[in-house]
Amino acid sequence: MKTLIKLEILRTLRNKRYVFFTVLYPAILYMFFINVNHSIPGGGSVKAYFMVSMATFGAVGAVLTGSAQRISLERKSGWTRQLRLTALPGRAYATAKICASAVTTLPSILVLFGLGAAEGVRLPAGQWLGLVGVLWAGSFVFAALGVALGYAAEPNAVQPIVMITYMVLSVLGGTWYPISGGMKDIAKFDPVYLYNRLAAFTTPGNGFDAGAAVGLAGFLVVFVAAASYLYRRDTRQA
Amino acid sequence: MSGEVAAFRQVSKSYGKVRAVNGLDLTLYPGQTVALLGPNGAGKSSSLDLLLGLREPDEGTVTLFGGSPRAAIEAGRVGAMLQSGGLMTDVKVRELVQLACDVHPRGHKAAEVLREAGIEEIADRRVDKLSGGQEQRVRFALAIAGANDLIVLDEPTTGMDVSVRQQFWASMRAQADQGRTVLFATHYLEEADSIADRVLVLHRGRLLADGSSADIKARAGARRISFELHAADGFVDEAELRALPGLTALDVSGPADGVRTVRIRATDTDALVAGLYRAGWYPRGIEVTSLGLEQAFLTITEAAESTEGTEPALESAR
Repeated sequence: MKTLIKLEILRTLRNKRYVFFTVLYPAILYMFFINVNHSIPGGGSVKAYFMVSMATFGAVGAVLTGSAQRISLERKSGWTRQLRLTALPGRAYATAKICASAVTTLPSILVLFGLGAAEGVRLPAGQWLGLVGVLWAGSFVFAALGVALGYAAEPNAVQPIVMITYMVLSVLGGTWYPISGGMKDIAKFDPVYLYNRLAAFTTPGNGFDAGAAVGLAGFLVVFVAAASYLYRRDTRQA
Repeated sequence: MSGEVAAFRQVSKSYGKVRAVNGLDLTLYPGQTVALLGPNGAGKSSSLDLLLGLREPDEGTVTLFGGSPRAAIEAGRVGAMLQSGGLMTDVKVRELVQLACDVHPRGHKAAEVLREAGIEEIADRRVDKLSGGQEQRVRFALAIAGANDLIVLDEPTTGMDVSVRQQFWASMRAQADQGRTVLFATHYLEEADSIADRVLVLHRGRLLADGSSADIKARAGARRISFELHAADGFVDEAELRALPGLTALDVSGPADGVRTVRIRATDTDALVAGLYRAGWYPRGIEVTSLGLEQAFLTITEAAESTEGTEPALESAR
């Protein structure tokens, strides 16, 4: 299984589209946002806010496109069938995808943090580390969603499904602008919002948002259950 | 022969209203090279899917080495190359073969597998940059990545040009020579004729014939005899001709009072020719021609077609 995981990681990093959409694209958007927004509703640092929201944007994009599209394509091409003819356990494929996703979210987080630091975002060392830790851990929730979507739809359908899911979740999740007022009641049910809230402890006067962490854990359970149900359905059909 | 490699017992599988596999009963023994022949839609791929445990039969049981297909795969006893087996993209051929060797419980060394599959020269190419024939050979490499006892190949030479196909057959024979059981589905009859020591003919999910390629040809009445009967040598009634031993089809043309041409298909041409002389006739210009496996195959499947598959073709031809 180790070889499979290693190979999954290697091939994702080799893929130019991945590098562009998950590392370069959020970085470019970050530079754009901090130059057009001079303040954000509710106060706080523009540069710190978008540093987190673009890091999560890149991380979610990395796992959704990386796992959902690839799984869908590989089901179609028959690679998943070929793998079923090896001694690897059935869960190995999805596990390798999630591991590869997890590794590949780190570059987008680190690049954005590097950019943020260069732009003058200052945090205590412990908070930097903690931030990397929670954002990285949070990305697993979306890796599970990616696996579920990959088993849910055919390749030509999965692309729009992923894009729409990604956009809706981002808009409601505070990726493009902070969520405030009545919007929060809806955003509470958006995993991207909860994901962004994990960074709350870095802003003055806020502690760690335990509610967001619990909410995300709930989504993780739902997505894992959906992924394993869809995986079993696919196995019966193929 | 000791033990059995694989067994289908009264296996049926339907997809909606289509009965892809219909009461299949079949046993494979160690060391055999078996060709599974059939037109498109005959149920070849479905049968192989059932054999490998990729699908569950609706009725009946499939066993591999006495256990479930999955157990045999986990024990590293089966290698397979599927028609619909995709390959991982964005990796090099060598990396993919290495993966197959690593995950195999009795895996070989990757370098060895690359050589046996004849793909050393493309080992550093990206998998997504290969031609169809090269992809097939990579798939073959995945099927021989470990010390399997059974190798299953579904239409392995599709997309290969003639010279590559010859090389591929040599690799396949090498596997059989190492004592492995090889089961391959094909619609190239030449492939079945020259490699297999047992041929299975599948049509509409049923097993129509099972034997050596010579058996299949003979059972289809796959030899043809033609000769002339001259009225001057004495008249022979058609009914008398029809009673000749081993005759499966008869065609007589020409005037009864002149030179008649007789064309016969027979399962046992030797007995038939002896019968001609025993009857005291004087056949002139006897020609005995052997039909290829292709003709035999067509005869068998056409006969099944005309009887709507309700009874095995071989019986109805007799």
